[in-house]
Amino acid sequence: MSQSKQSVGAPLLEITNLKKHYPIYGGIFRRQIGSVKAVDNLTLTLQQGETVGLVGESGCGKSTAGRTILRLTDPTEGSIRFEGQDVTSIRGEKLRQLRQNMQMVFQDPFASLNPKMMVGHIVSEPIRNYNRIQEKALTEETMQLLERVGLPAEAYYKYPHEFSGGQRQRIGIARSLALKPKLIVADEPVSALDVSVQSQVLNLLQDLQDDFKLTYLFIAHDLSVVKHISNRIGVMYLGSLVEIAATDSMYRSPLHPYTQALISAIPVPDPLKRKERIVLQGDVPSPANPPTGCAFHPRCVHATAICREVRPQLHQAAPGHQVACHLYTT
Amino acid sequence: MLPVHPQRSTSPWRLAFAEFRKNKLAITSVIFLFFVTALCILAPWLTSWDPVKINIRFINKGPSAEHWLGTDKGGRDIVARLLYGGRTTLWICFSISLIVTSLGTLVGSIAGYFGGRVDSWLMRFTDLVLIFPFLVFVIVLKAIFPDTGISIFIIVVSILGWGGTARLVRSKILAEKENEYVLAAVSIGCKPSIIIMKHLLPNVITTIIVQAILIVAGMITVETGLSYLGFGVPANIPSWGNMMSDAISPEVIKNQWWVWLPSGILITATILAINFLGEGMKDAFNTKK
Ligand SMILES: Nc1ncnc2c1ncn2[C@@H]1O[C@H](COP(=O)(O)OP(=O)(O)OP(=O)(O)O)[C@@H](O)[C@H]1O
Ligand code: SF4
Ligand SMILES: [Mg+2]
Repeated sequence: MSQSKQSVGAPLLEITNLKKHYPIYGGIFRRQIGSVKAVDNLTLTLQQGETVGLVGESGCGKSTAGRTILRLTDPTEGSIRFEGQDVTSIRGEKLRQLRQNMQMVFQDPFASLNPKMMVGHIVSEPIRNYNRIQEKALTEETMQLLERVGLPAEAYYKYPHEFSGGQRQRIGIARSLALKPKLIVADEPVSALDVSVQSQVLNLLQDLQDDFKLTYLFIAHDLSVVKHISNRIGVMYLGSLVEIAATDSMYRSPLHPYTQALISAIPVPDPLKRKERIVLQGDVPSPANPPTGCAFHPRCVHATAICREVRPQLHQAAPGHQVACHLYTT
Repeated sequence: MLPVHPQRSTSPWRLAFAEFRKNKLAITSVIFLFFVTALCILAPWLTSWDPVKINIRFINKGPSAEHWLGTDKGGRDIVARLLYGGRTTLWICFSISLIVTSLGTLVGSIAGYFGGRVDSWLMRFTDLVLIFPFLVFVIVLKAIFPDTGISIFIIVVSILGWGGTARLVRSKILAEKENEYVLAAVSIGCKPSIIIMKHLLPNVITTIIVQAILIVAGMITVETGLSYLGFGVPANIPSWGNMMSDAISPEVIKNQWWVWLPSGILITATILAINFLGEGMKDAFNTKK
């Protein structure tokens, strides 16, 4: 099924200096007067079978990053390599074939399912799009998929509006599994769900990872959600990564002042272990007009002159621990 | 064949239908329209009078046992002319609505889905069609070629009439494609034609249907109006508009009510019923549970 030749040892996904800028038009002549830098210089590598959590505040470009990586929107700059193959600018049928290997679980369990389609057809559609398969076999396979994600086989004949948010998210997960992809980008798959349902869906995703040998890029706006599911965590701020490290290293010794603030904001049940919470000053700047130098400097207590002028690059601060901050460049 | 028995599932269409059934005015309208349409279609079997042939012995006679609604200036049975005329008028209006809706949906959905340059070119073309003075065009065409028949009329009005539907469909598709299920469709490998037909159109079809229904009503007005003025259906073919044009003289209006009153009532009632049906469908589709 896979079209790509896997070169030995290549990571599953390699994103280099990825940018996605949305033009802003204005004035009487509707000329371009600027751009929203939704993703700005994102560099990230995913190894086969791992889960990378991508965390950041609302509007920092997580969804845009996920969509650009899956080629659902065209990147402005940078490169995307999948299994060693450059897929940054492939299009047409070649791109359509590539999609079999990479799928997405969407943020909104209501908007992401076509309300006029029967659930069975929603889940079987990916298979129908690529394979000529007998109707009966397709129905059976679809029902198995539904059962695998914890829904009854009869769900096949129902419509999305007959299900709860958590069940709908399961339907979306079944759809993303139908083609047996290698990579799944899960875009805040549980943030719209009740807290009681969140862990069930997270557990399901974790079970499926083992069964289907999946690699996850797991997007969340909250560090606590990705803690248990991720091998590594990347923290995004205004379109680019400010820190990336193995999960325990990130929790034990967060380096970037922004990450430190995020971690201090996680509620800790044990009052003795509670650290002082770092409250961030100010608002997230607009990605249309990001601050010069380090994008975080207006809110950073450690900011110095160099922070306002030079943009810090992501660099190795400890083994497997990268950070983009001038505090660690000596 | 299927491993599990399909339950009676509440599809969104079924829900809308249940909602529609509660609307008495709309249901009455449907029944009325059904009867009018059926009577018109079955005209040859329902009346033995010829709607076209001049009968000098019966000119301008009032209602009688033989001619229930009397005869017109050609001695032709009014009932027969109403039924045969309805055939012509309804056929014209349904055809125009069908063609206009198909063209408008095609152009509007392509422009809305692809956006960008495709959209701006298609919409420029649509604007051109929209600003085209179609009444003037039809009248001039008729003045130059007085013999133009019904098919030409249908084609001309359709080709000049799809602009509004195209704009409507485009704006609906533009809004609908922002939903994540469209992005999902791209990511599971649907081709653009499938995304438009299987995902987008079913979610905007209700608006399109309502619009198509309202176009039928609008076209009845156009047909009667143009025929009344002598620029529509050729005078020798019975149509509701041509019947109205018989009432052009004050003499007829004053003394021969049966020539214009029944057709007037029938046309008005039909247009009203179509509008009630359209409104009822709009309401039914828009109720969210
Ligand atoms: N199609 C678009 N056109 C213009 N700007 C866009 C578009 N999509 C996203 N943006 C902008 O890009 C920035 C990043 O948006 P994105 O949806 O990727 O954020 P996010 O991190 O996923 O946020 P959230 O947690 O709210 O989902 C935002 O400022 C948003 O307004
Ligand atoms: S580079 Fe400077 S402003 Fe940016 S996070 Fe580090 S210390 Fe703060
Ligand atoms: Mg998002």
